[in-house]
Amino acid sequence: MSAARAIFGSSETRFAYTLLLPVSILLAGLVAYPFGYAIYVSFTDRVVGNDGQWIGLGNFHYLAQSPAFWAAIQNTVVLVVASDVLKLAIGLGLALLVNQRLPGRGLLRSALMLPWAMPAFVAFLVWRVIYQPIGGGLNLLLTASGIWPEVVDWLGQRSTAMPAVIAASVWRGFPFWFVSILAALQNIPLELYEAARVDGASAWQRFWAVTWPSIRPVVIVTTLLSSIWTANSFENVWLLTQGGPSDATIVFPVLAYFGMQTQRIGEAAAVSVAMLPVLAILVFAGTTMMQRGEDE
Amino acid sequence: MVRDKSWTRRQMLGTTAAVGLLGSRSALAAPALVKGSKLTFWGGLIFSDKANKLLAETVRKWGADNGIQAEVVMINQNETVQKVSAAVASNTMPDALDIGLDLLLLLSRQGIFLPIDDIYDSVGKAQGGWYKAAADATDTRKVAGGRTGLPFGISGNLLLRRNDVLAKAGFSKPPSTWEELVTQASAVNKPPFHALGLALSNVGDGNTQIGVLQSYGGRIADDTGTKAAIKSDATREYLRWVKNAWDKKLFPPGVTTWDGAGDNNAYLSGQTAFIANTGSVGIAARSQDPELFNSTLYSSLPAGPKGTVSAVGPNVRAIPKTSKNPDAARALLEHLAQPEFMSAYYTDAIYGPVTKDQAKFKVFDGKDAIHAGLLDLVERGTAPASPDIYNAAFADAWDNFLVPKMCQRVVIDNWDFDRAMDEAQRVTQAIYDKYK
Repeated sequence: MSAARAIFGSSETRFAYTLLLPVSILLAGLVAYPFGYAIYVSFTDRVVGNDGQWIGLGNFHYLAQSPAFWAAIQNTVVLVVASDVLKLAIGLGLALLVNQRLPGRGLLRSALMLPWAMPAFVAFLVWRVIYQPIGGGLNLLLTASGIWPEVVDWLGQRSTAMPAVIAASVWRGFPFWFVSILAALQNIPLELYEAARVDGASAWQRFWAVTWPSIRPVVIVTTLLSSIWTANSFENVWLLTQGGPSDATIVFPVLAYFGMQTQRIGEAAAVSVAMLPVLAILVFAGTTMMQRGEDE
Repeated sequence: MVRDKSWTRRQMLGTTAAVGLLGSRSALAAPALVKGSKLTFWGGLIFSDKANKLLAETVRKWGADNGIQAEVVMINQNETVQKVSAAVASNTMPDALDIGLDLLLLLSRQGIFLPIDDIYDSVGKAQGGWYKAAADATDTRKVAGGRTGLPFGISGNLLLRRNDVLAKAGFSKPPSTWEELVTQASAVNKPPFHALGLALSNVGDGNTQIGVLQSYGGRIADDTGTKAAIKSDATREYLRWVKNAWDKKLFPPGVTTWDGAGDNNAYLSGQTAFIANTGSVGIAARSQDPELFNSTLYSSLPAGPKGTVSAVGPNVRAIPKTSKNPDAARALLEHLAQPEFMSAYYTDAIYGPVTKDQAKFKVFDGKDAIHAGLLDLVERGTAPASPDIYNAAFADAWDNFLVPKMCQRVVIDNWDFDRAMDEAQRVTQAIYDKYK
């Protein structure tokens, strides 16, 4: 057996490798190289116009001294977890509702997709107007209806800024959950529900024993994707609060943007790289859960 | 630059004519312009559409007159940093561009721009000399071995006030001190009309507070420009001023998260009596709300116990070393500095003059309150960062909005002054340590 044959196996295997080669090169060039390069840059003092020098953990040491960095970690986790939980609740609830035979169901499904279809910057600018203390829709509604007589500075105080950002983010993002779960619901054979009914299962038991196991893989994938997107989302925070007030809403992408504003590319890359462990854990957990589901 | 070795007769005649035209306008030896060559110019978008159009059309006409294919790309000034950063990294810089002082100094240190001392000297000599504010702030000779920016306009903050509201309360003169500003604001403050429209957010307008801090004697760093010096009695006194105004509800709600247009919107919608602004609001009011425009008066920023700190912000034109057509770029910069263009440009742009002769333009004769204020700023304003040292660390601190964030700790988180100053001191020192 020749050495090449030992490594590449049969001609069929070699052919398979050959077919994979273009995609592999593409992935290496467009994904692996920029990814690796960003990690390398995070260990340098690179600025615009100067490649900089290797400074080891210098950028990370600087970040660790920054209150904004620690606030960004906390806020990113809060934003992702709260948004995902709310999007799941709303997306699942609406998907279950719209999966029933309702009049105007098609129209309702389309309408529910509108927030997702709207460009993000338009959506968040509209939310900024809604939240405005003077003349904003939310305050007008609350004061006019007598629910809350005083004007609230939704984005300008610590207690309400992050909930306001989360609410806007959930509004923009829930349709993705809704449509994904709805698609999964429509793939569940009706016979399973009929069998459960015959066995005397209650609505809750039918949901827990039939619906949830069927949509669980989709929910896991959706959670994974949504978490990554939310953790990397920039326009929601930037257009609403610029990370303020007092770092109450600062998140990693906004912190990285501030790094870019000072032209310190190495520092900005370090912020992005600092996010990686959290995202890696998330991806690992998601894929493990999916694998476990498949095995079961 | 690659040039055709053999020129046609038409090319030769055309180029000679173009060179002759420029030569008649300048004491400089006219650069050789290659007919048919391309030139890309990035102009800075400003609030005035008329000024933007004038700039773009002037560059195009200059290109047409000289046989050069001049492409003009107008860049939103809020995006200049990102676009230039990407262009430097990808080696796709234009042949000439408008930039602010921050970017000029930073990129000049990296050797990105060509020295243009001869153009700078020539324009200054022909136009009565440069204003000190423009000359000192843009001096890159120590960091770049020559001057790399040609100043074309000075911006900075003026205090805009609602004369109609204030006159009724008996205030006919602008506040001369920050304390007096609070007094006047308190007198007219009737929520939802909040009188003090000064941003305390993480945007450029929020950094106006650095000047207020400095006018109270506070500093970002010491005289060596290496050690943080935020924590001081002067800063404490400044924070007392902020907290006092905040507790009186003089700041409109939302000032801690205002975006770059926050003060503009508040003033234009009649929600506030005072803002510190470059004058863009006045220009907008002139067309959108003539009544508001007529009831608006302009003055220099108030003083603190240590005097007035009102930083000037020169804007410059520069030529990247990667320019494929540097001779044409040099000729363009010189052309754009000519009085014919600048006189028309200043009429609609919100800039103060950079040369002494420009101050004689009609627009600066005192009849236009905004331009009169800008001329006053040019003549009496302080150097960028002054009394601090304007170095890379200061620019970094500026971009991290240290002072607005310190204010937010006090007014949003209710931290005591010492705790807020301690945090700002630590963060500032960490920034300055990066540049040791």
